[in-house]
Amino acid sequence: MAAIWAILRKECRSEWRTRYGLNAALLFAVTSLTTVSFAAGRLGARTDLLASLFWIVLLFATLASMSHAFVREVEGRTMLMLRLVASPGEIAIGKLLFNLLFLAVLEVVIVPLFLVLMGAPAPPWGVFLALLALGTLSLAATSTLIGAVIAQTRGRGALFAGISLPLLLPVLAAALTGMREMWAGHSAAGSLRLLAAYAVALLAASLLLYDHLWED
Amino acid sequence: LGIVWRITLFLWIAAAMSVALLKAPLVPVLLETTRVLYFHIPSAWVTVVALGWSMVHSILYLVRRDLRHDDHAAAAAELGLLFCIAATVTGSLWAKSMWGAYWNWDPRETSIFFILLVYSAYLALRGSIEGEEKRARLSAVYSVIAYVAVPFLVFVVPRMYETLHPDPLINTRGKVDMDPMIRWCFTAMLVGFTALFAWLQSLRVRVTRLERRLRPARA
Repeated sequence: MAAIWAILRKECRSEWRTRYGLNAALLFAVTSLTTVSFAAGRLGARTDLLASLFWIVLLFATLASMSHAFVREVEGRTMLMLRLVASPGEIAIGKLLFNLLFLAVLEVVIVPLFLVLMGAPAPPWGVFLALLALGTLSLAATSTLIGAVIAQTRGRGALFAGISLPLLLPVLAAALTGMREMWAGHSAAGSLRLLAAYAVALLAASLLLYDHLWED
Repeated sequence: LGIVWRITLFLWIAAAMSVALLKAPLVPVLLETTRVLYFHIPSAWVTVVALGWSMVHSILYLVRRDLRHDDHAAAAAELGLLFCIAATVTGSLWAKSMWGAYWNWDPRETSIFFILLVYSAYLALRGSIEGEEKRARLSAVYSVIAYVAVPFLVFVVPRMYETLHPDPLINTRGKVDMDPMIRWCFTAMLVGFTALFAWLQSLRVRVTRLERRLRPARA
């Protein structure tokens, strides 16, 4: 536990020192949001499109920022050092928590901006936040694991989007279907359950896998 | 596993195929499109089996660190992708005549397309890693996490959302009203396709091992 906490604090501190990861991700997210908003205009009456665009913007933000946590260690040649002080599982959970925090910070900025810029009607907040939280958890769990995988390959950045996107598509599909149902006034319970089940399965599998990610 | 086995497999599939295409009665609404289902359903079945085989060997590799498991995992993923393409194409042909369009993003079509993408990404990942041990390790991790999505895509999603797709093979009611001849053809094709997969798998694994043995000689 202490090691996980230490990794999380170390991640936050080294991110805060330069902030270039966060700045780049924020800039990217806001830019893609602006592009979408500019291209589509206000869509208050088309909530089905709103739901799709919302998750596409979040997906872009995820793809642009989530590989960072592990790639940075490899490029800075600090991975070995990190592994001396913590087990692979602890490193991974620490990085996952950091990525979750990172996405949450991004969302604090983009989500209100999205709702305002696109002229979205006020959603039922409980369902909206539940969908957002579960979707974010699944996106972060998947992309942290894939980030750890691609950090060890030669392609790295170029490879990350192509490899992780197919695994993120089911999350995207469930989350945006749920959000469509929510905005249409139907129950989103089915999608929420699906999303929750998928998130739990992903998390469980990835926690088991982290121990095998590096050679012994 | 010699010539007798291969000839038996050939005759078996040929016989099942001839009966299915020429003799078997047609299902009322589906009419002549019934026939494509003798290929579509076994392909979809083999896809799930092959990808599962790949996942099992990926886990075995991670536990034992023996490259022989990686050979199996890679070969099964390739073949799974191949059979998945077959299932997609036959399904699309069927959709054209029954639903009026080759592609319409029905939940079934969506999920099979996601599976195609996920396993294409698996092969892309394999292609981009240097070093056998590292490639085996990283792609095993990917294969396991990819297979987490498969049951959701194959079994859960199509049951949750409205789909026009008929009940899949393992349906909730059990198709007791199926014509006995049709059922025989299906069973024969399922067995034939599974055996075909087993044979192709053994060939692919042997080729991979031969390539590994030849590599030092070539270099």
